[in-house]
Amino acid sequence: MSSLIKGTTLSNTEVRTEAKAAREPQPYWNPYLAGLGLGLVLLAAFVIMGRGLGASGAFSSLVAVGVDAVAPAHANANDFYAEYIGDGTKSPLKDWLVFEVLGVFVGGFISGLFANRVTKVVERGPNISSAGRLTFAFIGGGLMGIGAKLARGCTSGQALTGGALFNVGSWAFMMMVFGGAYAAAYFVRRQWQ
Amino acid sequence: MNAPFFKYGLFGDDVSLVIAFIIGIGFGFFLERAGFGSSKKLAAQFYFTDLTVFKVMFTGIITAMVGVYYLSAIGFVDLSLVYLTPTFLLPQVVGGLILGVGFVVGGYCPGTSCVAASTGRIDGMVYLLGVIFGIFVFGEAFPLVSNFYVSTPMGQITLPQISGLPYGLLVFLVVLMALGGFAGAEWVEKKMAAKKAGA
Amino acid sequence: MKKLFTNLSLNKKLALFVFVLGFLALFAGSPYKGTELKVDASEMAMIVQKEVDHVASDELAGWIIQGKADYRLLDLRNETNFGEYHIPTAENMQLTALKEAQLGRNEKIVLYSDGGIHSAQAWFLLKAEGYKGVYILRGGLEEWKDNILFPRLADNASPVEVAAFEKTRLLSKFFGGTAQVGGAAETATPKMALPKLESPTGAQPKAAAGKKKKEGC
Repeated sequence: MSSLIKGTTLSNTEVRTEAKAAREPQPYWNPYLAGLGLGLVLLAAFVIMGRGLGASGAFSSLVAVGVDAVAPAHANANDFYAEYIGDGTKSPLKDWLVFEVLGVFVGGFISGLFANRVTKVVERGPNISSAGRLTFAFIGGGLMGIGAKLARGCTSGQALTGGALFNVGSWAFMMMVFGGAYAAAYFVRRQWQ
Repeated sequence: MNAPFFKYGLFGDDVSLVIAFIIGIGFGFFLERAGFGSSKKLAAQFYFTDLTVFKVMFTGIITAMVGVYYLSAIGFVDLSLVYLTPTFLLPQVVGGLILGVGFVVGGYCPGTSCVAASTGRIDGMVYLLGVIFGIFVFGEAFPLVSNFYVSTPMGQITLPQISGLPYGLLVFLVVLMALGGFAGAEWVEKKMAAKKAGA
Repeated sequence: MKKLFTNLSLNKKLALFVFVLGFLALFAGSPYKGTELKVDASEMAMIVQKEVDHVASDELAGWIIQGKADYRLLDLRNETNFGEYHIPTAENMQLTALKEAQLGRNEKIVLYSDGGIHSAQAWFLLKAEGYKGVYILRGGLEEWKDNILFPRLADNASPVEVAAFEKTRLLSKFFGGTAQVGGAAETATPKMALPKLESPTGAQPKAAAGKKKKEGC
């Protein structure tokens, strides 16, 4: 582009700089516009399906299928797994949430691709190693898995969906999520700052 | 009334799975647009330096809330057919606390970790493994916690129902609260940026 | 005023827009319009007159024997009566529980009670709520007993009728009833014992179990 303005041919370094600029990660969207988009997607789910979004439920199905494959008797005797395995009339992976979450992977990738934000990296603050960060990530994920099952959902299903529908449990849940996160933030600040 | 379309039998289970996939794409797309593929950005919410999480979440909530309210009020959507997760107050409160801790420790929530994983974040992928492990632990421990799991049931209940206030009034109040929150968030972010620059 | 508006940043424009929507919500009324009933009187009258809303007992018997799972049969009587005897594949449901039952709007729903009154009332309620596939079992349980469980062959039946009755006899046997031959129609039918429910058709339609769609997250 700049060559058109300058009206001259570019040197090698200039070409490389320009190409690099094109591959730089784009700035994020205006958060309110992103939120608007998110809200419209949620609204579409309400209008088309009569249900909201979710994420943790898909992983519950995955875990249930896994346990069922390894130890079917144990899985079917356990009320929690049994609910996800169903009564055998159809595969538990032919579940709305499973397909939705697959879409989330794809949608995230597409957006990242267009914005040059797909890079192999371990996100962390300057004062912690990759190994340390990954350990925290695993622990955090574990806690999240337990919390999401207790609460019957995570931020997508409970906070977003339930929030928009004025669900009492969801609002209580949402407040506790923020509360718990702020309370714990001090103790893991080394990870991020 | 002819919406929600699925509940009126306009299409079957198989088509609904395709729709799930498409809706998921939209969901993941906007999450990533907002920058939620990055745990650093997500966690910054809890250190007050970047309040995008609050802004995006609540903009999403009020958009869908106002949208579904008006579509129901004109009779296009039958709100009673939109699924409302039953409330179990105590487990949801405790679960929320645990989830909040997991959020700031892990740096993601399940939805955003999918987006992170698909854009190459290794910590996102490890986080997902953690989520699967956590669910497994929960599943195995389920017989022990099942009593707690179903305690304090309140059924499918909404804030308008429990407060007795008209639905439309609550919509207005939540919109006000959100707008006030956004203004506050902008102010806090500016202050934190100035503090950082001055430090 | 217009200049003031266009000078606002995008964020402020969005905020203003959503504020206006929120404010108008104060006046837009209840989103639960579903508690009011809308009845298209002429459409209803036509349906009733043409009797397209009826399912005959032998038709239903045929569906059950074939093991069809595309309908829901609702028994509107109380639990005790339901427990004593109910038509195979039926689910017990009181009128007040109909709304919460999450019945599909386009699902085939067949209602029955002892005679026809409760099923007719339930039919009206459901039709007014927008359920499209509601039917009444013609004659209710009484006609089911007369036609299917305890069919009667008159004394002076013609050979054609006698031949046809054989089929009816088999039908009756399938459902655990007993066919009756002869006896004047005027004499009071001895109180026949209702068949014990050992599910003559085999399993209840599995559809009932599979229908529990998970919609949580």
